[in-house]
Order: sequence, then structure tokens, then C-alpha cells
Amino acid sequence: MRKKGWLAGFVSLVLIAGVVSGCSGGGSKGEAEGVAGNAKAASGGVVKLKMWGGVPPEAGPQEVVDAWNKDHPDVQVEYVRYVNDDEGNLKLDTAIMTGQDVDLFVNYSASQAAKRVASGATADLSSFTDYNIDEKMGPEAADWKIDGKYYGLPTTKSSFFVALNKDALDAANLPVPKDWTWDEMREYAKKLKKGDGYGFIQNTEPFVDPIDSVLSKEGYTKADGASNLDHPLVRKWLESLYGMMKDDKTTPPLGEQLTSKMPVEQMFLSGEVPMLNIGAWLLRSSNNFTDYPRDFKIAFAPVPRLEEDAANYVTRGGLGDYISINAKSKYQKEAWEFLKWYADGGMAPMAAGGRLPASMDADQDAALKSMLGDKGDTYDQESLMYVMFDNKTPTFVRTVPQEVMDLRSQEYEKYFLGSQDLNATVAAMVSRHNEYLKSNPK
Amino acid sequence: MNNHWMRRQRRLGYVFIGPSMIGVLLFFLIPAAFSLGLVFTDYKFMNPKAGFVGLDNITRMLHDKLFYQSLKNTVLFLAAVPVSIALGFVVAVILNQRIYLKKLLRALYFMPYITSGVAVAFVWMLLFQPKQGPINGFLRSIGIEHPPGWLSTTTSSMFAIDIIWIWFLMGYNMIIYLAALQEVSPELMEAAKIDGARPGQLLRKIIWPLVSPTTFLLLVTGMIMTIKTFGIIQATTQGGPGNSTTILSLYVYQNAFRYYDMGYAATISWALFIIILIITAIQWIGQKRWVHY
Repeated sequence: MRKKGWLAGFVSLVLIAGVVSGCSGGGSKGEAEGVAGNAKAASGGVVKLKMWGGVPPEAGPQEVVDAWNKDHPDVQVEYVRYVNDDEGNLKLDTAIMTGQDVDLFVNYSASQAAKRVASGATADLSSFTDYNIDEKMGPEAADWKIDGKYYGLPTTKSSFFVALNKDALDAANLPVPKDWTWDEMREYAKKLKKGDGYGFIQNTEPFVDPIDSVLSKEGYTKADGASNLDHPLVRKWLESLYGMMKDDKTTPPLGEQLTSKMPVEQMFLSGEVPMLNIGAWLLRSSNNFTDYPRDFKIAFAPVPRLEEDAANYVTRGGLGDYISINAKSKYQKEAWEFLKWYADGGMAPMAAGGRLPASMDADQDAALKSMLGDKGDTYDQESLMYVMFDNKTPTFVRTVPQEVMDLRSQEYEKYFLGSQDLNATVAAMVSRHNEYLKSNPK
Repeated sequence: MNNHWMRRQRRLGYVFIGPSMIGVLLFFLIPAAFSLGLVFTDYKFMNPKAGFVGLDNITRMLHDKLFYQSLKNTVLFLAAVPVSIALGFVVAVILNQRIYLKKLLRALYFMPYITSGVAVAFVWMLLFQPKQGPINGFLRSIGIEHPPGWLSTTTSSMFAIDIIWIWFLMGYNMIIYLAALQEVSPELMEAAKIDGARPGQLLRKIIWPLVSPTTFLLLVTGMIMTIKTFGIIQATTQGGPGNSTTILSLYVYQNAFRYYDMGYAATISWALFIIILIITAIQWIGQKRWVHY
């Protein structure tokens, strides 16, 4: 008797739980639809689009959508900011997967874009025939084709460069290089180093680019399918950076940089360190004289190459800010209209943060003007034009999966920290990469 | 009649616990069962193609060097718990005496526990800075030429994390001990003193055994809490440098939310669950030897 009662109680509990969860699930869905429907009805057929991006609204996006919204009362765009880190991308992916309102979203890396394409979250843009992406964006757009198709529109020219303190270079009688090798850069760093200071610092984002430059050209895997992370130039990169950290003391030891979250932009802009390996987003800080007062001119050099032969070199760059349309969005056509407008010039206010439009129809001069603002004469414009537009070195877009990025960085961190020697580091990178390749066949 | 009344009572009981049981069921038991199912699949978030892979995830885990490294780091991390309990006890005994500024000190020791973890992490990162940080500045000023690199080297990072964690847990342990010390009956203490017990003996023979249930509670909850946490590491080193501070819970988090590899993450989290279970069981059995109720 007693046992039966317990059982009955439990069963009824499960049933209640089932009913409750069923109700709540169904209920919330119905509710959401109700709200969407109401919103549309109440505002007289106004379409509301949500665009998710990683740039803080005040750094351009708000101005962009405000401009659009003023001219298009029937299609209103709302900008939602997600932080472009693990948590932020997870938030965006969850929103997409659970069908929350995401109509457009910006992908900042090819591997993230590929994941979203695989999940079916991105609309195939080839169904829109009124815009020739290859023609508008140039040959570099093809780097963003996934399985031969565009599932997004690359909108910006991304440039990576070494920012130089022109005054410090002039004082040391060093020219602004237009093409230089890693070894030459190392010499510059030695000559520019003052006392206990550093000669060269790097933002952690492009830190590993020299390896990717080599491998995107030579292949991440060898002909037999095994990892190519033991390429001689990978070794060279490891060795020369190690030398700069330990022997020359011209660049901060990696462990110190990581755990103190070294503010590299600030160190460069305050004149403390004369060379900074970074990308166009530096402009966001270097135009901001309130937080980063500066009394020197900034010049720009391409990222130095490990390759001896300049003809073999590819540099990171190409296009970026790959904007996709959610395949489940109800307003794909409207989203597409907005996206075209954005790419062809609507995005101009983004230039202040270093994001130059890639489209040939966009007004480059206006964008450049908005990028430099009233600070134009604090830059060496000739070298700026060179690294952003005139440098004809072929480019690559980083496509390495996060897992491979991480396994590499974990191993080279051990090397730069002196707890693992060069051979062991290369061997560990190769074996872990091979393991990854085995469990994730293409 | 009586029987009938009992039955109604019992049914009523279920009604009362029902709401909370539904919560447990929906937000804990069902997800837990679901994650157990994931162990046998290669489900990746965002990737609709998930298949049954049998024991692949388990074999992969058993061959995964990083798993063992994280396990080792977890053990090193757990070492913080007994240390923080011992320190908490010492501080509580001191603060239980008649001393000046007792209330202020008590509040100060408890502060870390109620402070935001990210803020704590940030302050410690500044303190630990190898070159300009105040800790190494102090060490250099007293003549240590090569102070440790704290968070910035693979050999010292886990100990640096331990220090932060000890500092964090200590205040809580102290508060609980202070409450337990109030329960130590003055009669016993007085009797012992009359019998000529010295302060050290009082501490060892009277106070320590009498608060042993508290010690046990702190040990079990501290271990579980420590094994589950990863926020402090995520905020300071993200598991680095290298993978010297990747503990199991952080490894689960990375696999799940950085690589979206839910199947593998579920496998490791079940391994973690089994480890917690074993540790707790050992403590439970071991307590008979030293806990006096």
C-alpha cells in the first residue's frame, strides 16, 4: 500500500512536470509569435530588423543605423552589440539557434562563419542576383567563400601592420620600411630599445600571424596529410621571438604580457614602446587624444616576413566583417537591402574605428577622412596609404579552427616561458595537431 | 480511518514538495540525464549532425594528455582547501579572544568572500605582476633577487592561483569557525584550566575536537566548491600559461563553450562528477576517525 502510494505520487509528479513544461514551452512560443504579430500590426507594417555586431554602438554602428532609420521609416534596424569573445559568440549562437530575433550578424572569423554555415543559420546570398559580390569587393572576397558560395558579405578592408613611432625612428636615423624581414625588424627593435624598455610589442590578436602567413601559403598539412607545424619557418619564428624575449630583451616575455594583460596600445601611444604589431583597430585609440594623449607622428610598415623571398610572402589582410543574414529571418529581403546599403557606403561612420569599406562603390576618400578625423597630420599619411591601399602583397584570411589556435598557443607559451625546449615544442604541436586532424576529418 | 488519514497526509506532502521537485526535475535531473546521453554522442553545438559514437569519448578522454594535466592541476588546486581551513581556524581562535578592533578585523577577513570574483582576480593580477607588482617589489626590497613569476610562469601559476583561492575561502571558514567556537562550552574550558591545561593543550584537546564537525563540513563543502569553480581562473589566466592552470572544470567549460564539443565536455563533466563523489565518499568514511559529534 505504502509503496504504491509513493509510486503514484511520483508518476503524477512526472506527469505534472511534463504538462507544465509542455505548457510553458508551447505557451512561450505562442506568446512570442503574438508579440511579433502585434508589434507589426501596431506600428503599421514597419519591419524591425536586428543586427548583431561586435563593435560598441558608439564607435560607429549607432550612427549607421540612425542614418538608415531616418531614410527608411518602414524598415527600422536595431543594433545589438555582442562582445566578440567566447561568451559573446556563444550568446549570438544561442540566439540564432533558439530563434530569437537575429536578422543580420557580423562574423569576425572564418572559422566561426563556417560553424554557422554548417548549422544552416546563414542564408545563401547567391539567391540575391542584384549584387555581384566578386565584382564589388574585388578578388579578395573569394577568401570568404564557404563551399564555393557566399553566406555573408565581407564588408571591410582589414589591414594589419606594424605601427611605428616616426619621431623615434627619425631620431635613430631609421627609414620607414616598405618591405622588411623578421630579422630586419629584430635589428630595428635593438636599435630603438631604450634602457629597460622594449623596442617591439605585439597585440595578442595578430601575434601568431607569421605562422599562419607561412602555412596558408605552404599548407597546414603536408602532402601525406600530416601536420605541417614543423615547417622550418615555424621554428624560425619561435626561435627569433624567443631570442627577442630572452637575449635582446626587446619584446616582453609572453607570460608577463598575458598575465598582466599588457595594455599594448597604451604603451605604444604614450611613446613608451616605438613599434607595435597590430591592425586597423589601432585607429580607434590613436584618434582618441583624451584617453591616449600623444606627441609623436605614427608611421606604418607592413608586417615583417619570415620568408627570405619577398615574392613568396602573403600577409594577413584581405576583407573582414563578414555579415550574414539569418536563414530563419522572416525579413531576408529587407535585411539584404540594408546590407547592400551598408556595404556600399552606409558603413562610412565605422571608419573612425579603422573599418574602411571594401566595396568599390563606397567613397574611399570620405571614409579615409572620417577615419583620420581632425588628427590627419599626426599620421604619416604616405605610409598609411601604403599599408592600407597600395601594398600589393597577396593576402590571406585566417581560417584555422579555434582548437588548433589553442593547441599551438598552449605549446608555444610553454616554450617562450622556458618550460619546454624548441624541439619538444614543435613535436608537441605536431602531435596534437595530428590528433586533432584525426578526430576531425574534413 | 487512521490509515486513510495517513494517506491523505502523505498525498498532501507531495503537493507541498511538488513545486520544488518540479524545479529540480526540470533544471537538474533531466539536464543531467540528457548530459549522460551526450557522453555517447559526438554532438556539437551549432552542428545538427550528431551521431551515436559509443565509448569513443571515453577512450579519447583516457588518452587525452590534457585531461591528465587538468586532473593534476585540479589536485593542486584542491590543496588550497585544507590550508584555508587551517588558516581560518587560527584566525577565528585569535579573533575569539578579547582583542582590539575585533569587529573591524572580522569584517576585513570576510570581505574577500563577498567581493566580486572578477574584481578580486584583477587586483591579484596587479599584485602578482612580475616586474612592477608590489609583491615582487617587496620581495626584491628584502633582498630576494629573483622573486617568482607568480601567474606568469608555468611552474608557479597554479600556486599563485592557490594563494588567491586560500585568501578567498579563508574569510568564510573563519566566520563558520567563529560560530562554532561560541558553541564550545565554557564549563569544559574552565574545568580543563583548573586541571592545569596550558593554552596549547586547550586548543588541541578541547577546542579542536569540539569543532571537528565544523571542520568536516568545511572540508566537504570546500572541496566540492573548489572542484566546481573556474571563474577565478577564467578571469586571471584562462588556464594558461601553456595549460598550467587548466583545471577540470575549466577544461569542461572550454570544450563546451569554446569548441562547442558538447559530447566530449559531457564526458569530462561526468568524470568530474565521479571524482567528486569518490572524494566525498572517502571523506565520509574517514570522518569516523576524527570527527566528534
